[in-house]
Amino acid sequence: MRGSLEAVAGQTPRGRFRMELRRLRRSRLYRRRTLTAYAFMLPSLIILGVFIVWPMAQALRISFTDFNVFQSNWVGLENYRKLLNDEAFHNALGNTILYAGITTPVSVGLALVFALLLNRKVRGREFFRAAIFLPVITSLAVAAIAWTFLIDPDIGIVPYWLEQIGIQTGGLGEPTWAMIWVIVVGVWKNVGFYTVMYLAGLQGIPREIYEAAEVDGATTWTRFRTMTWPLLTNTTMFVFVIALIAALQAFDQIFVMTRGGPFFQTETLVMMIYRLGFSEFQMGYAAAVSWVLVLLVFALSLLQIRYFNRRLVRY
Amino acid sequence: MATIPEAATPPRPRPDLALRLLRLTTYLVLGFVAFVVLLPFIWTLLTSFKLETDIVQYPPELFPRSLTLEHYSDIWHRIPYARLLLNTLIFAGGVTIVSLIFDSLTAYALARLEFPGRDVLFLAILVTMMLPFQVTLIPLFSLLTQLDWINTHQGLIVPRATNAFGIFFLRQFFISIPRDLEDAARVDGASEFRIYRQIVMPLALPALLTLGLFHFMYNWNDLLWPLIVTTDTSMQTLPAGLALFMGEHVVEYGLLMAGSILALLPMIVMFLLVQRKFVEGIATTGIK
Amino acid sequence: MRAKKWIALLLAGVTLAVLAATASGRPAETNALNRTSEEVTITFWNGFTGPDRPALEALVNKFNAANRGKIKIDMSIMPWDVFFQKLLPSWASGKGPHLVGFDAAQMPQYADKGVLAPLDDLYSKGLQKSKLVASSVNAGRWNGKYYSVPMNFTTLLLYWNKSMFKAAGVKGPPKTWAQWQQAAVKLTIDKNKDGKPEQYGYAIADHATIPMWPILLWGNGGDVVSADGKRPMLGSAASIAAVDQWAKLVIDKKISPVGLAGADADNLFLSKKAAMEVVGPWMTTGFKKAGIDFGLAMVPKGPKRQVTLGTSVHYAVGARTNSETKTAIYKWITFWNSKPSQISWALGSGFPPTRTDIPASAFEKNPYVADFARFAGQSQFYLRNVKNFSQVNGNVFESSIQRILNKKGSTRDVLTKASKQLEPLLK
Repeated sequence: MRGSLEAVAGQTPRGRFRMELRRLRRSRLYRRRTLTAYAFMLPSLIILGVFIVWPMAQALRISFTDFNVFQSNWVGLENYRKLLNDEAFHNALGNTILYAGITTPVSVGLALVFALLLNRKVRGREFFRAAIFLPVITSLAVAAIAWTFLIDPDIGIVPYWLEQIGIQTGGLGEPTWAMIWVIVVGVWKNVGFYTVMYLAGLQGIPREIYEAAEVDGATTWTRFRTMTWPLLTNTTMFVFVIALIAALQAFDQIFVMTRGGPFFQTETLVMMIYRLGFSEFQMGYAAAVSWVLVLLVFALSLLQIRYFNRRLVRY
Repeated sequence: MATIPEAATPPRPRPDLALRLLRLTTYLVLGFVAFVVLLPFIWTLLTSFKLETDIVQYPPELFPRSLTLEHYSDIWHRIPYARLLLNTLIFAGGVTIVSLIFDSLTAYALARLEFPGRDVLFLAILVTMMLPFQVTLIPLFSLLTQLDWINTHQGLIVPRATNAFGIFFLRQFFISIPRDLEDAARVDGASEFRIYRQIVMPLALPALLTLGLFHFMYNWNDLLWPLIVTTDTSMQTLPAGLALFMGEHVVEYGLLMAGSILALLPMIVMFLLVQRKFVEGIATTGIK
Repeated sequence: MRAKKWIALLLAGVTLAVLAATASGRPAETNALNRTSEEVTITFWNGFTGPDRPALEALVNKFNAANRGKIKIDMSIMPWDVFFQKLLPSWASGKGPHLVGFDAAQMPQYADKGVLAPLDDLYSKGLQKSKLVASSVNAGRWNGKYYSVPMNFTTLLLYWNKSMFKAAGVKGPPKTWAQWQQAAVKLTIDKNKDGKPEQYGYAIADHATIPMWPILLWGNGGDVVSADGKRPMLGSAASIAAVDQWAKLVIDKKISPVGLAGADADNLFLSKKAAMEVVGPWMTTGFKKAGIDFGLAMVPKGPKRQVTLGTSVHYAVGARTNSETKTAIYKWITFWNSKPSQISWALGSGFPPTRTDIPASAFEKNPYVADFARFAGQSQFYLRNVKNFSQVNGNVFESSIQRILNKKGSTRDVLTKASKQLEPLLK
């Protein structure tokens, strides 16, 4: 648009002169604005550069060595080659995908349901909203201890209650149950955050849209399917990306509750990185695993953003 | 009391049976959810009032057999609680304030100014969010050692003084603010910094409060980072203090739970103060 | 809204008031300003969180007071996880502690990296090796030198619940494996026959615990690795037979739940859901407070040996520590291992002393101390000469036991495979 205007303006000599002048002015303005922009970002860029990007680059360099905190030899792609045939890595990758694959949709789905319920006029709504949000502001380290106590199959109160109604649960010593419990705690911790995001999204939907539908006599379900859900696409995208990143980096509750056991059945990639790096001091290999994780998170986030962008509805 | 306009609620027809049933189910579901979600807190709270010998028992009981305040009185002798709280406030508060300033400056530039490399820069900032902390720990640690920042407040605060999530969050918010006001100011010859400070920041207050709460709670609860950067006991924070009740072989559950309740209280206070602005804050971030 | 604001303000007010009330009650910290220039400061890191901390702090304060102006110990106590994450990077960057306390089993890993100073001259300069528990002293040896010396020591003993034994009509304590296994089966009760007993005979933890399973291998003449730490022993007939019979008792007779962490096993005994547990002295206080009528006995005699686990936290010194500081550290370690210090440590922590020359009468105030001290001679240290402790124990041994208990393969297959996994780790 702007280009075509200039082309028209440049047809006469006078116009050409004016254009040159404007370009000059614009480029000066442009340069000044660029300078201003970088001045605004300077503190953040320095901090991110020094304390995050630089260590990240170090980690990348380390991933091509056999660094063990004391010695370091260049080994090229050896660590990455090792990954391909490492059963422990395949196992951790599988667990991570399983964990994230369940935790992400379950948390997002529950959050949507909670938000829909809480967006209605219900008494005590503020209480419920605060209750669901409470886990978000607590320390997972302590909460995981409370959970471990609550779900202990022998002395925990939850299995004790469930047994009264004939349901038997297993403990953290059994592989399947261990995974179920760390997922439950993972969902519990974050669902409140996503709920609040959805509540905000619901609030942004113009009321008139529903009023129009009311006249048409649409049912609740149709209204949700044809209006609410499409209009929430942007929220869903944001929540999904954040939830996926969080799930792929799951660590705290696994560390407290299972340490990745029994026999590595709940060991996620971050748990594996921790084990390799800090109890075995194979820093080089740990760094290689980390970079694979970063690429995985990055690729999945991009895919999601693209997927949702295609169905984005603007209003 | 209500702060959200009733967006999704259609004009109410007569309360017929179906509707009443629906409302009943809503309450049942919400009540159940709230109970499950609050269970660990209820347990933590009630455990903090239990005698140490009543905590582990069979059959398990949620409510204490006899109430005791001994954990709450003991905790002050066992750890320097006031000192820990002050350190935590300095650390979490310091990070929050500095980070809000730096994040908002960067977010403003990314949202409002046009300059070459903007999109690449934004993406690069997002990538820093995707790296697990454990990876950079060792290089970061040796960097801090070289700077001689171990055991210092700047060592604790500066590396945390800006963060990708905060920038992302505020950028989304700034994009959604109408440009009319600032364009008028620009015409009047206001500098970008003045526009940022006098127009955008006041408008962004709910978002800033929201983000502030996130930064605050994240650092408030963080155990590892303060312990990595400080060895000096006089600089330790609350989570490190609470960890002292978790021995290798014996965990003093009563003290630990009492301590974590005390650590949670200030967070709840913050939340209640911010809550009203909270959903509002996110609602306007443009991520709707 | 108004009500909520008031609640928030009220909460804030209460928090502040409580803080103000307690802040004034704190004793003043030792003044750092009156340090003289000749004073040697020893930085000392360890993971003594939990109830042992006061006894340790008391001795440090006593030592600091006695050496005012000359030596000052600057101690940092942190959770073990954080300790191990920080230690090596700190030493690598030259800012590490002078002195550390960690489990003796960790020493070879660090000594092998050359970050520890040899301490042989400590034994020639004052600290009498012969007066200390021999198995603990030996655990400090690596490649012919002493790199760590005892800080604490204990054995594990069999705790048995006398009332539960009586109720089941079993005579206790068991003296042999046969009696032990019979008692464990008899004391396991599943009244409602749902396959999950209400009461377990013997709670045995398989991860995040003080090692319990290795004692069973030893009793049958097996082991995880050979005594010199060079060869895997998990695949030996004795090891397989030991694991097999106990695993069968767990799987078929359900004498213990599967997949317990150390704390879970303790909690089972504490809530009277388990009749026996093999564990250290730290549980005596809790069990006694809970009103459990328990007895302590040596781990029953196995088919080949009667043996229990000995375990120690050791002192180790950073390789870059200068000789002046090292002399000061030696003074502290000698003070720590002296008779009066060990008596006060034993009474404060419940751990038996590191010395063998203190009469039981010194511990009358806590008779359990003498019980745990009595079997020091029959104690064995776990993975004593292995530099890859966490891989051998966590990655291979514990996960193999968990696999077997979760029926993911026969004992023979799992242990044979595990034995192969050990080979590269022992080089």
